[in-house]
Amino acid sequence: MTMKVITWRQDEGSVDLMQLFVGLLIISIASIGTFQSLFYGYDQLDFNMRYRSAVSIARSYVEYWQGRIHTDIDFKDRPVFSGNQGDPEVFLLDERDPTTTYDDVYCEVAYSPIIAVDHETTEGTDFYKFSVIVLWSEPNDYNGAPHQIVFSAAMVPAGL
Amino acid sequence: MNNMKTQKIIFKRDEGWTLVEAVLTIVVMAIMMLGLTIVLMAFREHLDRSWSVRVMDQYGNDVIEQLSHQLRNAVDVEVRRGRGNTHKIDIKFLDPYVHDKYNYEYWEVDTRAGKVMINNRPVDIFYPPSSPGRGESFEIVQFTMTPYGQLTPNRRERTDSYRRNENFLNATYDVRLKLRYNRNAINPGERNWSYEREYSNRVYMRNMNLVVKKGILD
Repeated sequence: MTMKVITWRQDEGSVDLMQLFVGLLIISIASIGTFQSLFYGYDQLDFNMRYRSAVSIARSYVEYWQGRIHTDIDFKDRPVFSGNQGDPEVFLLDERDPTTTYDDVYCEVAYSPIIAVDHETTEGTDFYKFSVIVLWSEPNDYNGAPHQIVFSAAMVPAGL
Repeated sequence: MNNMKTQKIIFKRDEGWTLVEAVLTIVVMAIMMLGLTIVLMAFREHLDRSWSVRVMDQYGNDVIEQLSHQLRNAVDVEVRRGRGNTHKIDIKFLDPYVHDKYNYEYWEVDTRAGKVMINNRPVDIFYPPSSPGRGESFEIVQFTMTPYGQLTPNRRERTDSYRRNENFLNATYDVRLKLRYNRNAINPGERNWSYEREYSNRVYMRNMNLVVKKGILD
């Protein structure tokens, strides 16, 4: 009777099949980890670029409403003072690939109701305050809540 | 059981490789190295582009933020035409320390060098990078300061600007800086690549409509 004993390890030195498999497995896992971390880093940099764009959009919107309150607003115009959170404006936030529009990222911009602040120690309205809200969703981020930037601002009418 | 023979199957011979094994090994290794090289080259290209775009992005935000900050504090501004699609912006603002003294800043673009200058000095001495790679270049496509509603891609803003009064329009400006990064083909089979990005801010120059400003200028 002949019995075959299969040994995956060899005794003569050098690399045997098991060592080769294990080595390849380790290299593969390390490579996947390295590339994943690199792409995660790039995603974060892209997010940072969009975040700065969103800040710029929010700041510009704040400037617009500060200008309006300062010089050009009808204080009896109730719809203007109630904000547009129910019907926000849409702005282009990031044009990722200039050759196509499919991957563009858009954001929603809205302002809160404009509130007249009246301190008891002074007569009449002291200033008006409001907030600007920018909302957007990151690409490939389908489950998470949208990112949000809120700028609070105040302004006095020029006549005050 | 005593008759039992034990036989080991081993995966290595001691006699060395045959010619076929050696050739096969070289072919397999060559294919692997080729694939690895292509992946690494593509990754390096991606890395170079990404780095340059970040440098450009940093500069664009920096210029726009500095300019917006100065305009918010300005008491007056004059916009003149510059070279190409650029404006020269002369900003007048009060000295924060000395009474009744004005400071001036003259913003313009050096189109040849591709940089924004304040009083003939670059905003950032490290931009554009002094030693770009082969085929790389940075340029300023647009540097403008326009009243609210002009040159805007947003139709609602354009319509809205017709309804605003003179005080608002005289004090509300959009500043735009459009930068482009070019990466021209060097090796055969490559393609030219460029990336353009616009940086903009809206500024309401509140000092233009203050009673105090009128008193200062009168």
